[in-house]
Amino acid sequence: MNPYVLAILLFGLGLGTTITFASSHLTTAWMGLEINTLAILPLMAQHHHPRAVEATTKYFLTQATAAAMLLFATTTNAWITGQWDIQQITHPLPMTMLPLALALKIGLAPLHAWLPEVLQGLDLTTGLILSTWQKLAPFALLLQIPPHNPNMLIILGLTSTLVGGWGGLNQTQLRKILAISSIAHLGWMILVLQFSPSLTLLTLILYFAMTFSTFVVFKINKSTNINSLATSWAKTPALTAIIPLVLLSLGGLPPLSGFMPKWLILQELVAQGLLPTATITAFSALFSLYFYLRLSYAMTLTISPNTPMGLTPWRLHTHQSTLPLAVCTMTTIALLPLTPLSITLFTP
Amino acid sequence: MSLPNITRLPHLRLLSSIHHQQLLLPFIPPLSVPRRTVIQGNYRRPGQPKDDRLPWEKINFNFSKGLEGIKKQFTLLKKEFTDRWVGPEGKPILDHMLEQNQVVWEFRGPESLEQWTVSSDSEIGGQSEVYLKIGKNNNTCLLYGTLSSTPPKDGETRYSGYCTMRSKQPLASFDRKKHFDWSNFNTLHLRVRGDGRPWMINITAATYFSHHRDDMYSYFLYTRGGPYWQDVKIPFSKFFLTHRGRIQDNQHPLWLDKINNIGFTLGDKVDGPFQLEIDYIGVCKDYAHTEEFAYELYQGKQSS
Repeated sequence: MNPYVLAILLFGLGLGTTITFASSHLTTAWMGLEINTLAILPLMAQHHHPRAVEATTKYFLTQATAAAMLLFATTTNAWITGQWDIQQITHPLPMTMLPLALALKIGLAPLHAWLPEVLQGLDLTTGLILSTWQKLAPFALLLQIPPHNPNMLIILGLTSTLVGGWGGLNQTQLRKILAISSIAHLGWMILVLQFSPSLTLLTLILYFAMTFSTFVVFKINKSTNINSLATSWAKTPALTAIIPLVLLSLGGLPPLSGFMPKWLILQELVAQGLLPTATITAFSALFSLYFYLRLSYAMTLTISPNTPMGLTPWRLHTHQSTLPLAVCTMTTIALLPLTPLSITLFTP
Repeated sequence: MSLPNITRLPHLRLLSSIHHQQLLLPFIPPLSVPRRTVIQGNYRRPGQPKDDRLPWEKINFNFSKGLEGIKKQFTLLKKEFTDRWVGPEGKPILDHMLEQNQVVWEFRGPESLEQWTVSSDSEIGGQSEVYLKIGKNNNTCLLYGTLSSTPPKDGETRYSGYCTMRSKQPLASFDRKKHFDWSNFNTLHLRVRGDGRPWMINITAATYFSHHRDDMYSYFLYTRGGPYWQDVKIPFSKFFLTHRGRIQDNQHPLWLDKINNIGFTLGDKVDGPFQLEIDYIGVCKDYAHTEEFAYELYQGKQSS
């Protein structure tokens, strides 16, 4: 892509999220979300493959619908209450529509159907931007909206964790697996949103680190399905040894960092008296863990017998910087002992 | 109208004559059913007898067939749910990883022919004939017929003479379209016995927009005429994009994760009988083949 165009689009992405972060007026927040959507569309369609264009179209339609719902809730709130402040929404209609619109924006179940197909049509870098950066602005809004309907958020969260577990069982395409893992993690984040927004923020940040590591590893190995992942031992042996830890961290296994948000969320749910919710969520995490374990099994614990030794792929020196990957991998693996520190940092 | 009438200047009587003419036209009330359907009926494949029955005579209400259909759909649905416990697409993950060859279509009995459909230019009024049957010993399928490149006499068709065989798209429960996932493989492997004619292999993938509906990825299959079987291995990177038979300028590789059909077409402008015997169609993974796409798109440097 023309570097000037790329610079404008990336700047637009940054601008959109920053506008939403900095806004207290609902329309400004909506504007930031729209700038985000529009800036990423050319990035998604840059390869002009019909599947990429299909993914771009589906993404545009869902995001535009969500933005329209958001604007409708905004104007309804302004009509009824006469003010546009995000934190002062009081009427139940906008208070219900806004989380639903934002749920469609980020891909929470039952509004998740677009996410696997869209991610499958994109290359791994754009998929990474979609899974990480594009979630920041909607979450900024979700964290600020005063909670009204406790059951709605819990239902969204539970459905997302269950769909995120069940949906990944049938997949061999890595991008779809990552989309479904995104749905599951977002479910965990939404569950605790009304009780402890700081925990949502902690989960989001850790999720970013884990997803970044996973996407970059898949990009280095140039693998988009489980089979090509199985031959990554020949391309990047050191990475192949570390990645199971990243994947199991995604699955929430102690003593890796991914366990921290799950543990704290379950503790908070139990403290709020939502024992059945906590149990169902914990069990759905087992489903997710199953397919992360399957990925680690395919990648590290097996050496594909049908790769002829004389035909191992070339181990070319990669030109991309490995510092971000190193930082994120260490964050994903080693941060569990810092749980007391993170509780102190994130509780008001 | 003769020429002197046209050159005369129009005057008020012309307007009234137009109005008078319109009254002569019969009044056509708007119909809920399109008129053409009432007169002509739905599309009739050439060669099939005309169905002149009245609509209520065409109803075939069969309770047991309905029950069988429901049972079949729910069995498929249950299989979809339980397959997930075994592994992706019903196979254990080790099978996915170890798989280097997979036979997708093989012809081992008359029921395997139900997955295929044949067509020829008789659909547009030409004179080619094509038939599909199971070969000897129930081991192969035989696509045979006669090609005739005489164009149909409809005044607009200039070329004719093609025959084709295409697989039907696999269906999940309740007639939902399913796709083949061949992303583990990179080569198409066929065992065929032809008659020396050049065939074209067409693969269609899943599309979203309606203008991509006729997108096909094609490659050639040159058959030897001998009595010996021919093993043909074509990498998927060699398939080029065509749309309605025309090779496109903007080429892109075939994505293997959602394949709909495969087809064989003969259109080599040679009149006469043809035969193609197919044993099986499979996909395999050739580790030595690392090419991603065989055709490069250059933006030529323009000389200033």
